[in-house]
Amino acid sequence: MNGQALWIVFAASLPLGLVAGFIMHRSDFCLAGAFRDLFLFRERHMLRVLMLAVVVSMVLFEAARQLRLLSPYPFPILASPSVANLVGGFLFGVGMVLAGGCVVGTLYKMGAGSALSGVAFIGLIAGSGIYAEIHPWWAGLARKGSFLEGRITLPQALDMEPTWLVVSLAIFSVYFFFRWARTGQWTRRAHASGYMQPWVAGIVLAILGLASYMMVGMPFGITTAYAKAAAYAEDLVVPAHVGASSYFQAVPLKYVVPLTGTYIEGGAAPAFDAIAAIQFPVIIGIIAGSGWSAFRLGEWRPRLDLPPRQYGMALAGGILLALASRMTPGCNVWHILGGLPILALQSLFFLCGLFPGTAAGSFILRRVLNG
Amino acid sequence: MDSRVSEKRVTPAASETETKQIDIRGQICPSSLLATLKEINDLQGELTRKALKLSILTDNRDATATIPAAAEKMGYSVSVTREGGHYAITIEK
Repeated sequence: MNGQALWIVFAASLPLGLVAGFIMHRSDFCLAGAFRDLFLFRERHMLRVLMLAVVVSMVLFEAARQLRLLSPYPFPILASPSVANLVGGFLFGVGMVLAGGCVVGTLYKMGAGSALSGVAFIGLIAGSGIYAEIHPWWAGLARKGSFLEGRITLPQALDMEPTWLVVSLAIFSVYFFFRWARTGQWTRRAHASGYMQPWVAGIVLAILGLASYMMVGMPFGITTAYAKAAAYAEDLVVPAHVGASSYFQAVPLKYVVPLTGTYIEGGAAPAFDAIAAIQFPVIIGIIAGSGWSAFRLGEWRPRLDLPPRQYGMALAGGILLALASRMTPGCNVWHILGGLPILALQSLFFLCGLFPGTAAGSFILRRVLNG
Repeated sequence: MDSRVSEKRVTPAASETETKQIDIRGQICPSSLLATLKEINDLQGELTRKALKLSILTDNRDATATIPAAAEKMGYSVSVTREGGHYAITIEK
């Protein structure tokens, strides 16, 4: 594989992560909270913002596809849908509420100095390691539960061009967007210094997603990198076990990266490959971008003296999030800001599982915090 | 709420209104809002009689939007001040 191409991909992904981390901290762009607060407080502000980000991404992706700027389409790793997407989405919903953030939220919160998100991060790596052990069993079930062989997106399943579907959905959404604008529902009256309105952050994230898709061939995705981190850690202690693991040795990503036009491949193995070159800089960027934002505002003040049960919940949530991300496969940012905009069937099923999962997680959270 | 939520009651000499401080800095989301709503419900009588003010210390940026919105909806007046690296949200009738 071309080592130089990997470093070019790494260098291109890093600034995307840095900007994403910075704006996520400024706007407190919590995707877990968007779903959770619907069930806890009947609060829909962030869900509207997410819908805006999805629709803007959908239009941008479709425009770029028409201009032949998106290759490959649909992007790699997506496959035909499976019941596994639904189950994974449900567990992901429970996990993100308990962890106090999704796999991306955990990064920007940890970067800004949250000790609990730091614990959730450790849980994410541990959970990815646990998944590697159950992978052969789960992969078999996921295969049995898959359907619509060869169809990845809804337009493919319906045998139609995506354009009209995208245009209709966009027009339908814009009607609501204007209605919400008329009633002043986009602006959040926050008193935090250096605050960025979440809707602005949502649009910037959509543009970053497009930049990522055009350069590295896919929108933001980071969860395989957690498994790779687990593989690196295990490789220090039990290298033979890592070498024999069907999950760690699998190579799910094989494609020609648009930025350099070179063939690259990667998986969860402890090596510098395509997954490492695409996902590690995004992870590092989000942590550093958010940390820099918090530091500049004088808000980088980690606190460790917290209720032990919250540490326990964050760890359990992190482990569950990692298991769900591998079982689905993919995280909410991958599916909601990446897959949903191209109407990927996996992402639609993930979302169908995510809502009830978040409701269940919210129920547990309330019990644990009040108990 | 959790036993670790530190509570402090301060009675300033110049005023008859007591201030109850709740420190939720660093805690998991959405502890700040859940804790605040619970305190408002528990202390409704004292707050309405203007015998008590609530002061919530939080470092959750989102809470500087959600707590004022929720408390104002319940008829309280809210002010937010920045104190060092965190925010103090004062809730009173």
